[in-house]
Amino acid sequence: MTSDGTGTLEVPEKGSFRGLSDLPLVARQVGFEQLSFWLNPIGALMTIAFSVVFLILLGATAGTTTVSSYGHIKLIDYYVAGFCGYGVMAACFTILAIQLVNRREMGLLKRLRLSPLPTWMAMSAVLINAMIVAALGVILLLVIGRLGYSVHGPVHWLPFIVTLVVAMLCYSALGVGMSTLVPNADAAGPMISLTFFILVAISGLWFPIAPGSGLATFANFFPIRHLIDALVGSFAGEPGTPVWPWHDLGVMAIWGVGGAIVGLRRWTWSPKRG
Amino acid sequence: MSGPAICVEHLSKSYGDTVAVRDVSFEVQKGEVFALLGPNGAGKTTTVEILEGFRNRSGGTVRTLGVDPADHSTQRWLRTRIGVVLQELAIEPYYSVRQVLSRNAGYYPSPRPIDEVIELIGLREKADERIKKLSGGQQRRLDVGLGIIGNPELLFLDEPTTGLDPAGRRDTWDLIKRLSSAGTTVLLTTHYMDEVEALAQRVAVLFGQEIVASGTPSSIGGRDMGAVTIRFRLPDGVALGALPFPAEPAAGDDHVLIHTEDELRVLHDLTGWALDGGYALAGLSVLRESLEDVYLGLTRSDA
Repeated sequence: MTSDGTGTLEVPEKGSFRGLSDLPLVARQVGFEQLSFWLNPIGALMTIAFSVVFLILLGATAGTTTVSSYGHIKLIDYYVAGFCGYGVMAACFTILAIQLVNRREMGLLKRLRLSPLPTWMAMSAVLINAMIVAALGVILLLVIGRLGYSVHGPVHWLPFIVTLVVAMLCYSALGVGMSTLVPNADAAGPMISLTFFILVAISGLWFPIAPGSGLATFANFFPIRHLIDALVGSFAGEPGTPVWPWHDLGVMAIWGVGGAIVGLRRWTWSPKRG
Repeated sequence: MSGPAICVEHLSKSYGDTVAVRDVSFEVQKGEVFALLGPNGAGKTTTVEILEGFRNRSGGTVRTLGVDPADHSTQRWLRTRIGVVLQELAIEPYYSVRQVLSRNAGYYPSPRPIDEVIELIGLREKADERIKKLSGGQQRRLDVGLGIIGNPELLFLDEPTTGLDPAGRRDTWDLIKRLSSAGTTVLLTTHYMDEVEALAQRVAVLFGQEIVASGTPSSIGGRDMGAVTIRFRLPDGVALGALPFPAEPAAGDDHVLIHTEDELRVLHDLTGWALDGGYALAGLSVLRESLEDVYLGLTRSDA
């Protein structure tokens, strides 16, 4: 407690959370995160443009092929569902992790930490921004699927949306955790993108993998195949009572918790310069 | 706020067996520009980071604007009242100057007007330019702008003019002087001695993780008490040995040097001798040990 030169008594305000009055500040910070994202063409390219281009290319070759292991769903339906997952992973894992490494190594996280913006607010804005980008990507892919390839979208919307939400949380946590494992900005792109693309490839995004195969068994250990399976599952089947992909959601949740633990234990606001 | 803006008593910080700061004590008064000098690795940045609440201390007592900067319950309050300019540039490249200042202004309860800050840092012509298109010096000035956007009571400047051209340095000095005269307390770390002499009212030298000297720039390390050198051109027709005091020729020109710790008496006698003999002492000057000499002496002596 101190008094200033005018004789008034100034009491330091305590706490970093001020309830609902903080929400406009979070929204404002999300707005600046969005601005930053769209001003950087690489981020937008890697999330939105990549998935759209890949979907169009693969969709053009899919023809009338069906996928027997997913109840004879059309291959193009499989791709639309799969690339919705790709968009979520790219935004919430790849871009988020690279962005956090770059910000840490540039000293931006340190500057943010020294600003009055509370940590919880800053990190919430970063994560919400990634989820908005992911959601926009999914909407765009569904629209392209509908207009370009007559894909009607999920048969069961609720499992589809719940899967996306769980995936956003899981991959955001993994993105934060992954960012703490990368020693410097130069390594961020290669380490994170390579990990991502290898796992995406073996998890059946580019081509359906037969359940029970060796590759499927190996890929089942990682969360990507579970995301693809859960999303494709919501596109397949008959209208009526939805079949919930509890196992897939559970595996993603476990990976998400693991990512969060790694992130919390290894997090640093200062550059590592490793 | 009454009392000092910063109060540090017996501060220590260790990383395992490595000591970063040892038994450091100093105070910075409100409205003062205080400089922390020291070679790389002396513990300046660690000390500043502890004062900012960025790093926890291992021991000692620290008060920044009257509160413990390590107390999480008052950190948000404290950070609305301090400004920080980091040693290295830390600005998002894709925003414009105005956008990034506007974003950060929103973090503070009473920020400076954005246009005023843009004017102060001399970037009016570049206000809507993307940051990545600014020169290194312009980015550094924007960095300073981000430090003052919150209208801070206490400003931490960690080598704020590194990378600036001479004009940019002078502009930044003028800005710091204006902030100081308006009541802002400034804690400055720098490697430039002229910067310290131009800006700081007091200075402390960190060496070997502890403070080895402190005082005003003109008195630190006994600078105002030590020997001086009296320099002048040897009058025509006068031999070196005919001077009233032992002197030596200066290197490179026709001047001579007299070293003494009794400058008043030597000057009195020397000018009396010159007046009596009708000699001109052209270029007469009294040279005191520079701040850089003192600093180098302090930071070499224990090496």
